[in-house]
Amino acid sequence: MKHIADSYFRILEQVVFADDSELVELNLSEAFDLGRSLMEEMTPPDEVIQIHHDAIVRLAAMYPDLPFAKVAERITKPFMEMSMAYGMAFREQMERRYQAMIISRLEQSRLEAVGTLAAGIAHDFNNILGSIVGFAELAGDELEVGSTGQGHIDQVLIAGFRARDIVNRLLTFARQSPTNLIEVDVVSQVKETLSLLSVSCKPDMEIHFKSDLDNALILANPGQLQQVVMNLCINAADAMNHKGHLFVSLEFCNLASREHETCTNAVCLTVKDSGHGIPPDVQDRMFLPFFTTKAPNKGSGLGLSVVHGIVTQLGGNITVQSRYETDNPGTEFKIFLPLADKFTLTLNRDAQ
Amino acid sequence: MAHILVVEDDEQFRGMLVQMLTQDSHRVTIAHDGDEGVRLSQQLRPDLIITDIIMPHKDGIELIMELSNLSVDIPIIAMSGGRRAISAEFNLESATLIGVKSTLAKPFTRNDLRQAIRQALA
Ligand SMILES: Nc1ncnc2c1ncn2[C@@H]1O[C@H](COP(=O)(O)OP(=O)(O)OP(=O)(O)O)[C@@H](O)[C@H]1O
Ligand SMILES: [Mg+2]
Repeated sequence: MKHIADSYFRILEQVVFADDSELVELNLSEAFDLGRSLMEEMTPPDEVIQIHHDAIVRLAAMYPDLPFAKVAERITKPFMEMSMAYGMAFREQMERRYQAMIISRLEQSRLEAVGTLAAGIAHDFNNILGSIVGFAELAGDELEVGSTGQGHIDQVLIAGFRARDIVNRLLTFARQSPTNLIEVDVVSQVKETLSLLSVSCKPDMEIHFKSDLDNALILANPGQLQQVVMNLCINAADAMNHKGHLFVSLEFCNLASREHETCTNAVCLTVKDSGHGIPPDVQDRMFLPFFTTKAPNKGSGLGLSVVHGIVTQLGGNITVQSRYETDNPGTEFKIFLPLADKFTLTLNRDAQ
Repeated sequence: MAHILVVEDDEQFRGMLVQMLTQDSHRVTIAHDGDEGVRLSQQLRPDLIITDIIMPHKDGIELIMELSNLSVDIPIIAMSGGRRAISAEFNLESATLIGVKSTLAKPFTRNDLRQAIRQALA
Protein backbone atom coordinates (compact mmCIF):
# COMPACT_ATOMS: atom_id res chain seq x y z
CA MET A 1 0.00 0.00 0.00
CA LYS A 2 2.88 2.38 0.88
CA HIS A 3 4.43 1.96 -2.55
CA ILE A 4 1.13 2.68 -4.26
CA ALA A 5 0.72 5.85 -2.17
CA ASP A 6 4.27 6.88 -3.17
CA SER A 7 3.67 6.17 -6.86
CA TYR A 8 0.45 8.10 -6.78
CA PHE A 9 2.11 11.06 -5.12
CA ARG A 10 4.82 11.13 -7.80
CA ILE A 11 2.20 10.98 -10.55
CA LEU A 12 0.25 13.83 -8.99
CA GLU A 13 3.43 15.88 -8.57
CA GLN A 14 4.42 15.36 -12.22
CA VAL A 15 0.97 16.18 -13.55
CA VAL A 16 0.76 19.37 -11.52
CA PHE A 17 4.18 20.64 -12.59
CA ALA A 18 4.54 19.18 -16.10
CA ASP A 19 5.22 21.63 -18.95
CA ASP A 20 4.31 19.44 -21.87
CA SER A 21 1.09 17.58 -22.47
CA GLU A 22 2.83 14.35 -23.39
CA LEU A 23 4.29 14.01 -19.94
CA VAL A 24 0.85 14.66 -18.48
CA GLU A 25 -0.68 11.96 -20.65
CA LEU A 26 2.04 9.51 -19.70
CA ASN A 27 1.42 10.06 -16.01
CA LEU A 28 -2.31 9.88 -16.41
CA SER A 29 -2.03 6.47 -18.02
CA GLU A 30 0.11 5.42 -15.08
CA ALA A 31 -2.66 6.61 -12.77
CA PHE A 32 -5.01 4.46 -14.79
CA ASP A 33 -2.83 1.36 -14.31
CA LEU A 34 -2.62 2.14 -10.64
CA GLY A 35 -6.41 2.12 -10.40
CA ARG A 36 -6.52 -1.33 -11.93
CA SER A 37 -3.94 -2.77 -9.60
CA LEU A 38 -5.76 -1.28 -6.62
CA MET A 39 -8.81 -3.31 -7.64
CA GLU A 40 -6.73 -6.39 -8.11
CA GLU A 41 -5.46 -6.00 -4.58
CA MET A 42 -9.07 -5.64 -3.45
CA THR A 43 -8.50 -2.18 -2.00
CA PRO A 44 -11.75 -0.79 -0.65
CA PRO A 45 -13.03 2.41 -2.36
CA ASP A 46 -12.56 4.70 0.65
CA GLU A 47 -8.88 3.78 0.74
CA VAL A 48 -8.58 4.79 -2.90
CA ILE A 49 -9.95 8.22 -2.00
CA GLN A 50 -7.62 8.31 1.00
CA ILE A 51 -4.60 7.79 -1.26
CA HIS A 52 -5.59 10.84 -3.28
CA HIS A 53 -6.28 12.87 -0.18
CA ASP A 54 -2.94 11.96 1.42
CA ALA A 55 -1.11 12.87 -1.78
CA ILE A 56 -2.69 16.35 -1.81
CA VAL A 57 -1.75 16.90 1.81
CA ARG A 58 1.80 15.83 1.03
CA LEU A 59 1.90 18.12 -2.00
CA ALA A 60 0.71 21.07 0.07
CA ALA A 61 3.33 20.37 2.72
CA MET A 62 6.12 20.09 0.16
CA TYR A 63 5.13 23.14 -1.91
CA PRO A 64 3.60 25.65 0.53
CA ASP A 65 3.45 28.35 -2.16
CA LEU A 66 1.52 26.23 -4.68
CA PRO A 67 -1.41 28.24 -6.09
CA PHE A 68 -4.03 25.56 -5.53
CA ALA A 69 -6.84 27.41 -7.25
CA LYS A 70 -4.81 27.53 -10.46
CA VAL A 71 -3.86 23.84 -10.52
CA ALA A 72 -7.15 22.46 -9.23
CA GLU A 73 -7.96 20.87 -12.57
CA ARG A 74 -4.56 19.21 -12.80
CA ILE A 75 -4.95 17.87 -9.29
CA THR A 76 -8.24 16.14 -9.99
CA LYS A 77 -7.16 14.59 -13.31
CA PRO A 78 -5.00 11.76 -11.96
CA PHE A 79 -7.70 10.93 -9.43
CA MET A 80 -10.32 10.75 -12.17
CA GLU A 81 -8.11 8.40 -14.17
CA MET A 82 -7.33 6.21 -11.21
CA SER A 83 -10.91 5.92 -10.03
CA MET A 84 -12.21 5.33 -13.52
CA ALA A 85 -9.85 2.37 -13.98
CA TYR A 86 -10.70 1.16 -10.51
CA GLY A 87 -14.42 1.29 -11.32
CA MET A 88 -14.02 -0.49 -14.62
CA ALA A 89 -11.96 -3.26 -13.05
CA PHE A 90 -14.51 -3.55 -10.28
CA ARG A 91 -17.27 -4.03 -12.78
CA GLU A 92 -15.34 -6.60 -14.75
CA GLN A 93 -14.69 -8.55 -11.62
CA MET A 94 -18.34 -8.51 -10.61
CA GLU A 95 -19.29 -9.74 -14.05
CA ARG A 96 -16.75 -12.52 -13.87
CA ARG A 97 -18.04 -13.58 -10.48
CA TYR A 98 -21.60 -13.46 -11.70
CA GLN A 99 -20.71 -15.61 -14.71
CA ALA A 100 -18.95 -18.13 -12.48
CA MET A 101 -22.00 -18.21 -10.25
CA ILE A 102 -24.36 -18.80 -13.16
CA ILE A 103 -22.14 -21.54 -14.53
CA SER A 104 -21.91 -23.34 -11.23
CA ARG A 105 -25.68 -23.03 -10.77
CA LEU A 106 -26.22 -24.48 -14.22
CA GLU A 107 -23.77 -27.24 -13.48
CA GLN A 108 -25.52 -27.89 -10.18
CA SER A 109 -28.97 -28.17 -11.70
CA ARG A 110 -27.68 -30.34 -14.51
CA LEU A 111 -26.14 -32.68 -11.97
CA GLU A 112 -29.35 -32.74 -10.00
CA ALA A 113 -31.40 -33.56 -13.07
CA VAL A 114 -29.17 -36.48 -13.93
CA GLY A 115 -29.32 -37.65 -10.33
CA THR A 116 -33.09 -37.63 -10.24
CA LEU A 117 -33.24 -39.46 -13.50
CA ALA A 118 -30.75 -42.05 -12.30
CA ALA A 119 -32.60 -42.62 -9.06
CA GLY A 120 -35.82 -43.03 -11.00
CA ILE A 121 -34.52 -45.83 -13.17
CA ALA A 122 -32.41 -47.55 -10.51
CA HIS A 123 -35.29 -49.62 -9.21
CA ASP A 124 -36.30 -50.88 -12.63
CA PHE A 125 -32.69 -51.53 -13.41
CA ASN A 126 -32.20 -53.66 -10.35
CA ASN A 127 -35.35 -55.61 -11.14
CA ILE A 128 -34.02 -56.31 -14.61
CA LEU A 129 -30.61 -57.20 -13.26
CA GLY A 130 -32.31 -59.44 -10.73
CA SER A 131 -33.93 -61.36 -13.56
CA ILE A 132 -30.70 -61.57 -15.55
CA VAL A 133 -28.68 -62.81 -12.61
CA GLY A 134 -31.42 -65.15 -11.40
CA PHE A 135 -32.17 -66.76 -14.75
CA ALA A 136 -28.46 -67.06 -15.47
CA GLU A 137 -28.05 -69.00 -12.26
CA LEU A 138 -31.02 -71.18 -13.10
CA ALA A 139 -29.51 -71.86 -16.51
CA GLY A 140 -26.12 -72.54 -14.97
CA ASP A 141 -27.58 -75.09 -12.62
CA GLU A 142 -28.79 -77.05 -15.65
CA LEU A 143 -25.23 -77.31 -16.93
CA GLU A 144 -22.42 -79.53 -15.82
CA VAL A 145 -20.06 -78.11 -13.24
CA GLY A 146 -16.87 -76.92 -14.94
CA SER A 147 -18.38 -77.02 -18.44
CA THR A 148 -17.73 -74.23 -20.97
CA GLY A 149 -21.39 -73.28 -20.78
CA GLN A 150 -21.14 -72.91 -17.03
CA GLY A 151 -18.09 -70.68 -17.55
CA HIS A 152 -20.06 -68.40 -19.84
CA ILE A 153 -22.87 -68.19 -17.34
CA ASP A 154 -20.38 -67.18 -14.66
CA GLN A 155 -19.38 -64.26 -16.87
CA VAL A 156 -23.02 -63.20 -17.20
CA LEU A 157 -23.26 -63.22 -13.41
CA ILE A 158 -20.10 -61.17 -12.99
CA ALA A 159 -21.37 -58.66 -15.55
CA GLY A 160 -24.70 -58.47 -13.72
CA PHE A 161 -23.04 -57.62 -10.42
CA ARG A 162 -20.82 -55.06 -12.09
CA ALA A 163 -23.92 -53.38 -13.41
CA ARG A 164 -25.44 -53.46 -9.93
CA ASP A 165 -22.40 -51.66 -8.54
CA ILE A 166 -22.84 -48.93 -11.10
CA VAL A 167 -26.50 -48.53 -10.20
CA ASN A 168 -25.56 -48.31 -6.53
CA ARG A 169 -22.97 -45.67 -7.18
CA LEU A 170 -25.49 -43.68 -9.16
CA LEU A 171 -27.84 -43.88 -6.23
CA THR A 172 -25.15 -42.72 -3.84
CA PHE A 173 -24.62 -39.75 -6.11
CA ALA A 174 -28.31 -39.02 -6.34
CA ARG A 175 -29.01 -39.36 -2.64
CA GLN A 176 -28.61 -35.81 -1.42
CA SER A 177 -30.99 -35.96 1.52
CA PRO A 178 -29.25 -36.27 4.87
CA THR A 179 -30.49 -39.69 5.94
CA ASN A 180 -28.76 -40.91 9.05
CA LEU A 181 -25.87 -38.58 9.72
CA ILE A 182 -23.62 -39.54 12.58
CA GLU A 183 -20.33 -38.20 13.90
CA VAL A 184 -17.51 -39.69 11.91
CA ASP A 185 -13.82 -39.22 12.61
CA VAL A 186 -12.19 -38.13 9.38
CA VAL A 187 -8.66 -38.96 10.52
CA SER A 188 -9.28 -42.60 11.40
CA GLN A 189 -11.59 -43.13 8.41
CA VAL A 190 -9.05 -41.77 5.97
CA LYS A 191 -6.28 -43.82 7.58
CA GLU A 192 -8.38 -46.96 7.39
CA THR A 193 -9.31 -46.39 3.77
CA LEU A 194 -5.71 -45.74 2.82
CA SER A 195 -4.51 -48.93 4.43
CA LEU A 196 -7.18 -50.78 2.46
CA LEU A 197 -5.98 -49.07 -0.68
CA SER A 198 -2.30 -49.67 -0.09
CA VAL A 199 -2.92 -53.38 0.23
CA SER A 200 -4.38 -53.46 -3.24
CA CYS A 201 -2.11 -50.93 -4.93
CA LYS A 202 0.73 -51.77 -7.27
CA PRO A 203 4.23 -52.18 -5.76
CA ASP A 204 5.62 -49.18 -7.68
CA MET A 205 3.16 -46.83 -6.04
CA GLU A 206 3.50 -45.40 -2.58
CA ILE A 207 0.85 -43.58 -0.58
CA HIS A 208 2.04 -40.99 1.95
CA PHE A 209 -0.27 -39.78 4.66
CA LYS A 210 0.12 -36.83 6.97
CA SER A 211 -2.35 -35.27 9.37
CA ASP A 212 -2.14 -32.09 11.43
CA LEU A 213 -5.08 -33.29 13.47
CA ASP A 214 -5.49 -36.16 15.90
CA ASN A 215 -9.13 -36.39 15.11
CA ALA A 216 -11.74 -34.39 13.25
CA LEU A 217 -15.41 -35.13 13.67
CA ILE A 218 -17.82 -34.42 10.86
CA LEU A 219 -21.45 -35.38 10.39
CA ALA A 220 -21.78 -37.96 7.65
CA ASN A 221 -23.21 -41.29 6.70
CA PRO A 222 -20.77 -44.05 7.52
CA GLY A 223 -18.97 -45.08 4.36
CA GLN A 224 -19.34 -41.76 2.58
CA LEU A 225 -15.87 -40.59 3.45
CA GLN A 226 -14.43 -43.88 2.35
CA GLN A 227 -16.10 -43.43 -1.03
CA VAL A 228 -14.61 -39.97 -1.40
CA VAL A 229 -11.08 -41.08 -0.53
CA MET A 230 -11.29 -44.23 -2.63
CA ASN A 231 -12.50 -42.42 -5.73
CA LEU A 232 -9.93 -39.64 -5.50
CA CYS A 233 -7.05 -42.03 -4.87
CA ILE A 234 -8.04 -44.44 -7.61
CA ASN A 235 -8.26 -41.53 -10.06
CA ALA A 236 -4.86 -40.31 -8.91
CA ALA A 237 -3.33 -43.77 -9.22
CA ASP A 238 -4.78 -44.15 -12.71
CA ALA A 239 -3.35 -40.78 -13.72
CA MET A 240 0.08 -41.85 -12.47
CA ASN A 241 -0.09 -45.21 -14.22
CA HIS A 242 0.16 -46.75 -10.78
CA LYS A 243 3.74 -45.56 -10.34
CA GLY A 244 5.20 -42.91 -8.04
CA HIS A 245 4.14 -41.05 -4.94
CA LEU A 246 0.66 -40.12 -3.89
CA PHE A 247 0.26 -37.62 -1.07
CA VAL A 248 -2.80 -37.51 1.14
CA SER A 249 -3.05 -35.04 3.97
CA LEU A 250 -5.50 -33.61 6.45
CA GLU A 251 -5.37 -30.18 7.99
CA PHE A 252 -7.52 -27.75 9.87
CA CYS A 253 -8.92 -24.86 7.89
CA ASN A 254 -11.71 -22.35 7.72
CA LEU A 255 -14.48 -22.77 5.25
CA ALA A 256 -15.81 -19.42 4.16
CA SER A 257 -19.22 -19.35 2.60
CA ARG A 258 -19.78 -16.26 0.45
CA GLU A 259 -23.45 -17.03 0.16
CA HIS A 260 -24.17 -17.20 3.86
CA GLU A 261 -21.35 -14.89 4.90
CA THR A 262 -20.22 -17.37 7.48
CA CYS A 263 -16.97 -18.97 8.38
CA THR A 264 -16.89 -22.52 9.63
CA ASN A 265 -14.23 -24.69 11.18
CA ALA A 266 -13.44 -27.33 8.66
CA VAL A 267 -11.09 -30.12 7.79
CA CYS A 268 -9.30 -30.07 4.47
CA LEU A 269 -8.47 -33.34 2.75
CA THR A 270 -5.82 -33.03 0.06
CA VAL A 271 -5.08 -35.72 -2.49
CA LYS A 272 -2.08 -34.78 -4.57
CA ASP A 273 -0.73 -36.83 -7.44
CA SER A 274 2.05 -36.50 -9.97
CA GLY A 275 -0.07 -37.90 -12.77
CA HIS A 276 -0.62 -36.55 -16.28
CA GLY A 277 -2.79 -33.65 -15.12
CA ILE A 278 -6.25 -32.72 -16.35
CA PRO A 279 -6.77 -30.73 -19.56
CA PRO A 280 -9.14 -27.74 -19.19
CA ASP A 281 -11.92 -29.25 -21.31
CA VAL A 282 -11.91 -32.37 -19.10
CA GLN A 283 -11.94 -30.20 -15.98
CA ASP A 284 -15.12 -28.59 -17.24
CA ARG A 285 -16.96 -31.88 -17.46
CA MET A 286 -15.32 -34.33 -15.09
CA PHE A 287 -17.95 -34.03 -12.35
CA LEU A 288 -20.75 -35.06 -14.69
CA PRO A 289 -22.03 -38.60 -14.24
CA PHE A 290 -20.74 -40.94 -16.92
CA PHE A 291 -18.06 -38.55 -18.08
CA THR A 292 -14.86 -40.51 -18.46
CA THR A 293 -11.73 -40.43 -20.57
CA LYS A 294 -10.92 -44.01 -19.68
CA ALA A 295 -11.45 -47.13 -21.76
CA PRO A 296 -15.02 -48.51 -21.61
CA ASN A 297 -14.24 -51.33 -19.21
CA LYS A 298 -11.87 -49.20 -17.12
CA GLY A 299 -14.01 -46.32 -15.92
CA SER A 300 -17.71 -45.73 -15.62
CA GLY A 301 -17.31 -41.97 -15.13
CA LEU A 302 -19.14 -42.00 -11.84
CA GLY A 303 -16.29 -41.53 -9.37
CA LEU A 304 -16.18 -37.77 -9.25
CA SER A 305 -19.93 -37.34 -9.52
CA VAL A 306 -20.24 -39.52 -6.43
CA VAL A 307 -17.58 -37.43 -4.69
CA HIS A 308 -19.41 -34.26 -5.68
CA GLY A 309 -22.74 -35.60 -4.45
CA ILE A 310 -21.35 -36.60 -1.09
CA VAL A 311 -19.34 -33.44 -0.49
CA THR A 312 -22.32 -31.27 -1.41
CA GLN A 313 -24.53 -33.22 0.94
CA LEU A 314 -22.05 -32.73 3.76
CA GLY A 315 -22.01 -28.98 3.15
CA GLY A 316 -18.44 -28.99 1.87
CA ASN A 317 -16.50 -27.72 -1.10
CA ILE A 318 -14.16 -29.13 -3.71
CA THR A 319 -11.30 -27.32 -5.39
CA VAL A 320 -9.06 -28.66 -8.12
CA GLN A 321 -5.67 -27.49 -9.26
CA SER A 322 -4.03 -29.24 -12.12
CA ARG A 323 -0.85 -28.72 -14.10
CA TYR A 324 -1.23 -30.15 -17.56
CA GLU A 325 1.41 -30.26 -20.29
CA THR A 326 4.08 -28.76 -18.04
CA ASP A 327 7.43 -30.08 -16.82
CA ASN A 328 6.01 -31.49 -13.62
CA PRO A 329 2.37 -32.23 -14.29
CA GLY A 330 0.01 -33.34 -11.56
CA THR A 331 -3.28 -32.73 -9.85
CA GLU A 332 -4.38 -31.65 -6.43
CA PHE A 333 -7.91 -32.20 -5.22
CA LYS A 334 -8.93 -30.45 -2.01
CA ILE A 335 -12.09 -31.40 -0.16
CA PHE A 336 -13.28 -29.04 2.56
CA LEU A 337 -15.70 -30.52 5.06
CA PRO A 338 -17.29 -28.56 7.90
CA LEU A 339 -16.53 -29.95 11.33
CA ALA A 340 -19.36 -31.32 13.42
CA ASP A 341 -19.18 -28.80 16.28
CA LYS A 342 -20.66 -26.08 14.10
CA PHE A 343 -23.63 -28.28 13.40
CA THR A 344 -24.17 -29.16 17.03
CA LEU A 345 -23.98 -25.47 17.84
CA THR A 346 -26.66 -24.52 15.34
CA LEU A 347 -28.76 -27.51 16.29
CA ASN A 348 -28.59 -26.55 19.95
CA ARG A 349 -29.57 -23.02 19.13
CA ASP A 350 -32.56 -24.29 17.19
CA ALA A 351 -33.60 -26.44 20.09
CA GLN A 352 -33.75 -23.53 22.50
CA MET B 1 -40.85 -77.68 2.42
CA ALA B 2 -42.55 -74.35 3.01
CA HIS B 3 -45.54 -72.50 1.61
CA ILE B 4 -44.24 -69.18 0.37
CA LEU B 5 -46.19 -66.13 -0.79
CA VAL B 6 -44.27 -64.05 -3.32
CA VAL B 7 -45.45 -60.43 -3.60
CA GLU B 8 -43.79 -58.86 -6.61
CA ASP B 9 -45.05 -56.57 -9.38
CA ASP B 10 -42.27 -57.24 -11.91
CA GLU B 11 -43.48 -60.20 -13.93
CA GLN B 12 -40.13 -61.43 -15.15
CA PHE B 13 -38.49 -61.19 -11.78
CA ARG B 14 -41.45 -62.92 -10.19
CA GLY B 15 -41.18 -65.74 -12.70
CA MET B 16 -37.51 -66.20 -11.88
CA LEU B 17 -38.19 -66.28 -8.17
CA VAL B 18 -40.97 -68.83 -8.55
CA GLN B 19 -38.62 -71.05 -10.57
CA MET B 20 -35.94 -70.93 -7.91
CA LEU B 21 -38.37 -71.62 -5.09
CA THR B 22 -40.21 -74.46 -6.78
CA GLN B 23 -36.91 -76.08 -7.74
CA ASP B 24 -36.11 -76.07 -4.04
CA SER B 25 -39.50 -77.79 -3.63
CA HIS B 26 -41.31 -74.96 -1.91
CA ARG B 27 -45.00 -74.43 -2.58
CA VAL B 28 -45.42 -70.95 -4.07
CA THR B 29 -48.36 -68.57 -4.29
CA ILE B 30 -48.03 -65.27 -6.09
CA ALA B 31 -49.48 -61.81 -5.49
CA HIS B 32 -49.03 -58.92 -7.91
CA ASP B 33 -49.15 -56.02 -5.47
CA GLY B 34 -49.45 -55.13 -1.79
CA ASP B 35 -53.24 -55.29 -1.69
CA GLU B 36 -53.36 -58.79 -3.10
CA GLY B 37 -50.50 -59.70 -0.79
CA VAL B 38 -52.40 -58.65 2.33
CA ARG B 39 -55.52 -60.49 1.20
CA LEU B 40 -53.74 -63.73 0.34
CA SER B 41 -51.70 -63.66 3.55
CA GLN B 42 -54.88 -63.53 5.60
CA GLN B 43 -56.66 -66.16 3.53
CA LEU B 44 -53.90 -68.68 3.05
CA ARG B 45 -51.63 -68.10 6.06
CA PRO B 46 -48.40 -69.07 4.25
CA ASP B 47 -45.28 -70.02 6.19
CA LEU B 48 -43.30 -67.17 4.71
CA ILE B 49 -43.83 -63.96 2.70
CA ILE B 50 -41.24 -62.67 0.27
CA THR B 51 -42.19 -59.16 -0.75
CA ASP B 52 -40.82 -56.43 -2.96
CA ILE B 53 -40.67 -53.02 -1.31
CA ILE B 54 -41.42 -50.69 -4.18
CA MET B 55 -44.68 -51.53 -5.90
CA PRO B 56 -47.56 -49.51 -7.27
CA HIS B 57 -50.77 -49.08 -5.23
CA LYS B 58 -49.70 -50.54 -1.91
CA ASP B 59 -45.96 -50.87 -1.41
CA GLY B 60 -44.07 -53.43 0.61
CA ILE B 61 -43.66 -51.27 3.69
CA GLU B 62 -47.40 -50.64 3.82
CA LEU B 63 -48.06 -54.34 3.38
CA ILE B 64 -45.77 -55.20 6.27
CA MET B 65 -47.32 -52.61 8.56
CA GLU B 66 -50.83 -53.62 7.66
CA LEU B 67 -50.10 -57.27 8.36
CA SER B 68 -48.64 -56.40 11.72
CA ASN B 69 -51.70 -54.27 12.55
CA LEU B 70 -53.89 -57.24 11.63
CA SER B 71 -51.70 -59.35 13.96
CA VAL B 72 -50.84 -61.65 11.08
CA ASP B 73 -47.61 -63.07 12.40
CA ILE B 74 -45.83 -64.51 9.38
CA PRO B 75 -42.08 -64.13 8.86
CA ILE B 76 -41.24 -61.74 6.04
CA ILE B 77 -38.31 -61.31 3.69
CA ALA B 78 -38.12 -57.87 2.08
CA MET B 79 -36.45 -57.28 -1.29
CA SER B 80 -35.56 -54.03 -2.86
CA GLY B 81 -33.83 -52.24 -5.68
CA GLY B 82 -34.11 -48.61 -4.80
CA ARG B 83 -35.64 -45.54 -6.29
CA ARG B 84 -36.18 -41.83 -5.85
CA ALA B 85 -32.96 -41.06 -4.09
CA ILE B 86 -33.55 -43.88 -1.67
CA SER B 87 -31.05 -46.67 -1.84
CA ALA B 88 -31.80 -50.33 -1.47
CA GLU B 89 -30.09 -50.44 1.93
CA PHE B 90 -32.16 -47.58 3.20
CA ASN B 91 -35.42 -49.22 2.21
CA LEU B 92 -34.33 -52.48 3.67
CA GLU B 93 -33.28 -50.73 6.85
CA SER B 94 -36.74 -49.33 7.34
CA ALA B 95 -38.16 -52.77 6.64
CA THR B 96 -36.05 -54.33 9.40
CA LEU B 97 -37.18 -51.62 11.77
CA ILE B 98 -40.74 -52.79 11.40
CA GLY B 99 -39.97 -56.44 12.04
CA VAL B 100 -38.79 -57.95 8.80
CA LYS B 101 -36.81 -61.15 9.39
CA SER B 102 -34.28 -60.82 6.60
CA THR B 103 -33.63 -58.65 3.61
CA LEU B 104 -32.32 -59.04 0.08
CA ALA B 105 -30.95 -56.34 -2.19
CA LYS B 106 -31.69 -56.97 -5.86
CA PRO B 107 -29.98 -58.49 -7.71
CA PHE B 108 -29.12 -61.40 -5.45
CA THR B 109 -27.81 -64.93 -5.94
CA ARG B 110 -29.58 -68.19 -5.35
CA ASN B 111 -27.44 -68.72 -2.30
CA ASP B 112 -28.43 -65.34 -0.85
CA LEU B 113 -32.04 -66.35 -1.30
CA ARG B 114 -31.61 -69.74 0.37
CA GLN B 115 -29.78 -68.16 3.26
CA ALA B 116 -32.45 -65.50 3.73
CA ILE B 117 -35.16 -68.18 3.78
CA ARG B 118 -33.26 -70.26 6.29
CA GLN B 119 -32.78 -67.22 8.49
CA ALA B 120 -36.43 -66.17 8.26
CA LEU B 121 -37.79 -69.60 9.06
CA ALA B 122 -35.34 -70.31 11.89
N1 LIG C 1 -6.30 -37.14 -10.51
C1 LIG C 1 -6.64 -37.08 -11.81
N2 LIG C 1 -5.70 -36.88 -12.77
C2 LIG C 1 -6.04 -36.82 -14.06
N3 LIG C 1 -7.29 -36.94 -14.54
C3 LIG C 1 -8.27 -37.14 -13.66
C4 LIG C 1 -8.02 -37.22 -12.25
N4 LIG C 1 -9.19 -37.41 -11.61
C5 LIG C 1 -10.15 -37.45 -12.57
N5 LIG C 1 -9.60 -37.29 -13.80
C6 LIG C 1 -10.33 -37.25 -15.08
O1 LIG C 1 -11.72 -37.10 -14.82
C7 LIG C 1 -12.47 -38.14 -15.46
C8 LIG C 1 -13.69 -38.46 -14.61
O2 LIG C 1 -13.31 -39.07 -13.37
P1 LIG C 1 -14.33 -40.02 -12.62
O3 LIG C 1 -13.68 -40.48 -11.36
O4 LIG C 1 -15.63 -39.31 -12.48
O5 LIG C 1 -14.56 -41.21 -13.61
P2 LIG C 1 -13.54 -42.37 -14.03
O6 LIG C 1 -12.37 -42.40 -13.10
O7 LIG C 1 -13.25 -42.16 -15.47
O8 LIG C 1 -14.42 -43.66 -13.85
P3 LIG C 1 -14.82 -44.37 -12.44
O9 LIG C 1 -14.37 -43.47 -11.34
O10 LIG C 1 -16.30 -44.50 -12.47
O11 LIG C 1 -14.11 -45.66 -12.46
C9 LIG C 1 -11.48 -39.28 -15.60
O12 LIG C 1 -11.85 -40.13 -16.65
C10 LIG C 1 -10.18 -38.54 -15.88
O13 LIG C 1 -10.07 -38.16 -17.22
MG1 LIG D 1 -12.67 -42.46 -10.98
